[in-house]
Amino acid sequence: MARMKFLCDADRCIECNACVTACKNEHEVPWGINRRRVVTLNDGKPGERSVSMACMHCTDAPCAAVCPVNCFYTTADAVVLHSKDICIGCGYCFYACPFGAPQYPRVGNFGSRGKMDKCTYCSGGPEADFSVAEYEKYGSNRLAEGKLPLCAEMCSTKALLAGDGEMIAEIYKQRVVKRGYGSGAWGWKTAYRETVAI
Amino acid sequence: MKAFAAAVIAAIALGVLAMYALTSNQTFAYQAFATSGTRVSEPGINLVGPKWNGMPVVGEANDAAHGKAEGEASHPKRS
Amino acid sequence: MRRAVTLFSTLVLATTLLAAPGAFAPARAQNPITQDGQNPMGAKPTADSVNEEFLFKNADKITGRVSIPDRKSANLIQPQGREYRAFRESWLPWIGGLGILGMIAALAGFFLWRGRILTDDTQESGRKILRFNAFERFAHWMTATCFIILSLSGLNYIFGKRLLMPLIGPEAFGSLAQWAKYSHVYLAWPFMLGVVIMVAVWVKDNIPNRIDWAWIKAGGGFLGKGHPHAERFNAGQKGVFWMVAGFGAAMGVTGLMMLFPFTVLDINGMQVMQVIHALIGVAFIVGILAHIYIGTLGMKGAYDAMGSGEVDLAWARAHHDLWVEKQQAKTASGPQLTGRHPAPAE
Repeated sequence: MARMKFLCDADRCIECNACVTACKNEHEVPWGINRRRVVTLNDGKPGERSVSMACMHCTDAPCAAVCPVNCFYTTADAVVLHSKDICIGCGYCFYACPFGAPQYPRVGNFGSRGKMDKCTYCSGGPEADFSVAEYEKYGSNRLAEGKLPLCAEMCSTKALLAGDGEMIAEIYKQRVVKRGYGSGAWGWKTAYRETVAI
Repeated sequence: MKAFAAAVIAAIALGVLAMYALTSNQTFAYQAFATSGTRVSEPGINLVGPKWNGMPVVGEANDAAHGKAEGEASHPKRS
Repeated sequence: MRRAVTLFSTLVLATTLLAAPGAFAPARAQNPITQDGQNPMGAKPTADSVNEEFLFKNADKITGRVSIPDRKSANLIQPQGREYRAFRESWLPWIGGLGILGMIAALAGFFLWRGRILTDDTQESGRKILRFNAFERFAHWMTATCFIILSLSGLNYIFGKRLLMPLIGPEAFGSLAQWAKYSHVYLAWPFMLGVVIMVAVWVKDNIPNRIDWAWIKAGGGFLGKGHPHAERFNAGQKGVFWMVAGFGAAMGVTGLMMLFPFTVLDINGMQVMQVIHALIGVAFIVGILAHIYIGTLGMKGAYDAMGSGEVDLAWARAHHDLWVEKQQAKTASGPQLTGRHPAPAE
């Protein structure tokens, strides 16, 4: 099976936020919850770069490790998913996550903040593929349809790459060689303990 | 024993009170992280609405254009 | 943005470093427009672009700007979760398990070695003296019942998935943990109130003094024969009092920080609060285990003080002789105080 990863080419990202919008629309993500976001570094200065960030589906995911109810699981494609039926909304995954991926529908206090929501790599949840329950809780399941995450598919500059880690790393390497520069695979070292040599 | 029973009752009562106080003062993500953009549906729910069941809307075609989704459950909003 | 100067100097360094491998194509640079895929301006955007490695040299997390009005989401990468995870998953279960089991083993060992601490009968045996009035007992038991629920639901965050989840299955454990979380969050309030009441009611009897030092040196009745002098609370009880006051305050403050996440603290602050809350929680449970032991099984006659509120006069004379004298001096009617309220907490 493939080892699914995200790679954001910061030299291509133009901060159009289409990935964010695509994600919200595809999964009917509730208001206030952002499974994906675009962070601009050095905003307004020379050398400004934008990076689209969501759950990176880490190797040995910290969220899964700290979860007090073990609601996380990793699929055969190495996608980190969770069960909203087991989640108690404690927020520990957010404390452990290096990318700020977990989101909660209510943020005022810890008591009743609701079930955690995060990027599913467009692959739903533990429910049966394409079921109504799966769609309502986790959004659509593109992976089961043989499609890649919509955020990457929609990306107008093809900055955001999704797919098998080795393949997208190869694509990125070729780009860097061809154009002569690159600023690295953001977050890869933290998420996968390896990075793309450029 | 009476003091103990009173203590347990008071603890539960205060706990319930705290529950109501905390729950009623809860901030929703859509309030906390709201911008001044256009809103097309009720906040707090997603666009398909709370009663969405994935089935195509029968009859009421014009009713709540944003409250229902079209298409089948397995292929929501896909072209 | 305050680090702009540092950042800039780092970037200058970056430029020089990247210029070395970047000099591989001097031929292309001479005629950049004809080279396919080359930047027509001949510029190297990487030269002045931000870079993950250099940003991490300047700060321990990478923060930028987002259009979402959520402060937390501006953090792009924050690897501190690793330390939090290492504590929570590697250290905490061992600290908690060894602490609690160690205390239980120590208490069992003490029980086997010392047995129940008994009080010799005197002619005063059978007569009662009021030790804790109804309000004091109420405050104690409200805090105590909340503490037991809080500690069990708190331990569930650490050990639930390791011990309970394999037994009852993930779904049942999920809903149990949900209820445990509710009870933890909501019963924290009567617990905090109880701690405040107990501190207010008992603080004047718990100021350490010279008698306590003598009590400790004499082994407090645990080790030696007979009981050293003590006022209303002996040094051990004062220790429990100040532990509950201190740990209770610490648990309350850290707990409130976690109950209203990110209102005061950022992500690293939240991680630290969790670590403190967990460590003090374990220490609190360990301390209270000893308190429960000595208040029930460990000492004959001690439970009555919080059970009915009235203790045997002989027991009181042995354990809190100075307090009994004071009480008897207060009430002209002598030691038989049942039905009357000497209000020792006044």
